[in-house]
Amino acid sequence: MAQAFTKTMARNIFYGGTLFFFLLFLALTFDSHGQFPSRDNRAALESPDLGPKIALGKKLWEENDCIGCHTLLGEGAYFAPELGNVYKRFGESKEAIMGFIKSRPKDGVPGRRSMPQFNFTDEELDALAEFLKYVSGINTSHWPPNVNG
Amino acid sequence: MKYKSQKVARLYFIAALVLFVAQILFGLIMGLQYVMGDFLFPYMPFNVARMVHTNALIVWLLMAFMGAAYYLVPEEAETELAMPWLATLMFWIFFLAAGATVAGYLLLSYSDLAKLTMNDMLPTMGREFLEQPTITKLGIVVVALAFLLNIGLTILKGRKTVINLVLLMGLTGLAVFFLFSFYNPTNVVLDKYYWWWVVHLWVEGVWELILGAILAFVLIKTTGVDREVIEKWLYIIIAMTLITGIIGTGHHYYWIGTPEYWQWWGSIFSAMEPIPFFMMTVFAFNMVNKRRRNHPNKAAMLWALGTAVMAFLGAGVWGFLHTLAPVNYYTHGSQITAAHGHMAFYGAYVMISLTIISYAMPMLMGRTAANSNRSQVREMWGFWLMTISIVFITLFLTGAGVLQAFLQRMGENPTPFMVVQDKIALFYWLREITGVVFLIGLIVYLSSFFVGRNEPEPEVAVAE
Amino acid sequence: MAESAVVEQNDKERRYPPGDLAIWIFILAELSVFAVFFAAYAFTRLNHVELFNEYQQHLDRRSALINTLALITSSYFVVRAVAAIKADNAKGCIRWLLAAIGMGFVFLVVKSMEYAHHFSLGVNLSTNTFYMFYLSLTFFHFMHVMMGMIILAAVAFKAKQGAYSATEHTGVETGASYWHMVDLVWLILFPLVYVMR
Repeated sequence: MAQAFTKTMARNIFYGGTLFFFLLFLALTFDSHGQFPSRDNRAALESPDLGPKIALGKKLWEENDCIGCHTLLGEGAYFAPELGNVYKRFGESKEAIMGFIKSRPKDGVPGRRSMPQFNFTDEELDALAEFLKYVSGINTSHWPPNVNG
Repeated sequence: MKYKSQKVARLYFIAALVLFVAQILFGLIMGLQYVMGDFLFPYMPFNVARMVHTNALIVWLLMAFMGAAYYLVPEEAETELAMPWLATLMFWIFFLAAGATVAGYLLLSYSDLAKLTMNDMLPTMGREFLEQPTITKLGIVVVALAFLLNIGLTILKGRKTVINLVLLMGLTGLAVFFLFSFYNPTNVVLDKYYWWWVVHLWVEGVWELILGAILAFVLIKTTGVDREVIEKWLYIIIAMTLITGIIGTGHHYYWIGTPEYWQWWGSIFSAMEPIPFFMMTVFAFNMVNKRRRNHPNKAAMLWALGTAVMAFLGAGVWGFLHTLAPVNYYTHGSQITAAHGHMAFYGAYVMISLTIISYAMPMLMGRTAANSNRSQVREMWGFWLMTISIVFITLFLTGAGVLQAFLQRMGENPTPFMVVQDKIALFYWLREITGVVFLIGLIVYLSSFFVGRNEPEPEVAVAE
Repeated sequence: MAESAVVEQNDKERRYPPGDLAIWIFILAELSVFAVFFAAYAFTRLNHVELFNEYQQHLDRRSALINTLALITSSYFVVRAVAAIKADNAKGCIRWLLAAIGMGFVFLVVKSMEYAHHFSLGVNLSTNTFYMFYLSLTFFHFMHVMMGMIILAAVAFKAKQGAYSATEHTGVETGASYWHMVDLVWLILFPLVYVMR
């Protein structure tokens, strides 16, 4: 038994298997890159009008750590609602999103979870809403199951 | 402890435990905010507590891994560390950088921190687990490179064992995949695709190499089983880990704009990810049953077996629970994910860190092989309190998650997120109470370092 | 010392399964991956019978048949290679292994031509569910053929260095076992994907 199972063979399986599956992973990654343009709402990013706005929106999204409470396409913290589809949930209205962010009370809501007041400028609010609109245009294979996220 | 330079590990282990305490305290704050939404608002919003909770975890695990490497690499290589001074220097750089980053999180608003650290020049902040300012990330790279150099040179000049080799591969992989944290395109799909190359390929890839190597080392030391046998197991386990885990990355590519075939590839391969964890459980118990000696450090043995069981439950079983695409459709980004995250991180990485700390600390404190009986009993109380707590935390979060998926995502009239959160508040209260028990367990565990210091080591027949 | 070597040798002759036990654990894992893939294929096919029937027509069954024959032949060559080394004929063993690798090349070339045809029509993993399965399954197997050829080449190389003999040939049996698995998977894949209606 001890003879039948050698360390060399176990080692070869480790190196061979790892290399094999990493190459396969790279092949699938390569194919995925071919598919991204038809799924990732690139049109919005490449539009000369919207592109810079979305980029600013994403920067604001990141520099205020929105992911620390919310999920975006299901990834992030589970403390506050999913925002990948918030544009759809808010009746496809950027104004509704902007209004919501703007109206958060500075000192919160007694006893309840509340989003902080970030004091964004109108330009920033517009960029954030544009970013969330762009994300809602990504083909996520029908996730989330419904508008509640 | 055979080599003087191993002693540097002590610094790393102590710092790891300090950050562990911070992690748990901030976890309790978050848990309370889940049920008392205005707790500490607006001074410490939820996201800040969460950043400290998750970042402290990551950093203390890295500290523990580095400490483990500084302890076991010289012993395996049978030589002194190549540059002990560099290890000490890097420790202080790392520790101060981590401290400064946490202070930044707590004292400044996140956007001010971003401005202060000039995030604009190379924006990498604000993505889950990678919230650290870019300069901290660069610091981590420098520390990692210096660390790898030190460890690599030590291995090169000494005996080359499988454990050292696997550990080095794991740590190198850790450093290499961290580089993807600097790639942050505006395109959200691409951003997420490569973000997982850090997160998934860490915890379900290279970190498991580190886990396997440390476990193998402790088992060789405590059971006295033939190295050849243990190394064989180690290779097969890590082979299965990467064979299933690399393509298993696909289980994160179901709903983020990636092509739909990932639902098949991801489901099939990640469904196999429990196999290496199961093998690890079988391996650990097998080795302990075949032991040729009774090591006086019973606590370390308990941690090692605990790791093998809890890693399988947390990473294997709880991972499998929601890894198949049709199930994940309803559970993605819900409290089920949180449940899995808690037990997997505790079972695999927290416990392996505490295993090596438990094994090495007595020697680092100048004892022969183990702490006194009294200290070990105390430590085992800590083990059981923390482990049972995490099991219940996981169960309560799973309950919350099942209800959440059911109310919010299934049925005729799905309920909005915040309404659902109110309905499942009972589970959050139970989780918070269990969290307090965990903290008590942690205090009991830490106190074990301070009791029975002058008492003798337990006597067992040591045959070596 | 000599006595224990004899015992060991007897052990080896009686030993089952042949080759290294580690490779059998691995083969089992591989077969289960393929089994899950095949089951997924069959299950999905049930739900999309018409789609699958339609696109199966587009596959080149003649090439697949050539490939089936190529792999069966190569498996036979590998059997001969094992027999040769058991008769202490290292040269014969190497020749049979090279012949098996040659048949592997035939497989790769024919399959590549098939892929080239599909790609020229713009077919990819996202074209439809049938092509997703067809390409995934066959490409995954394709990579296994390459892997098997590398393993056989390594075995042949070691044989050339004189590492194997009538008494010590675990490595040859190990490589042969893996190659037979690759062949076996194709023998299921071929009827399942190309023929079954």
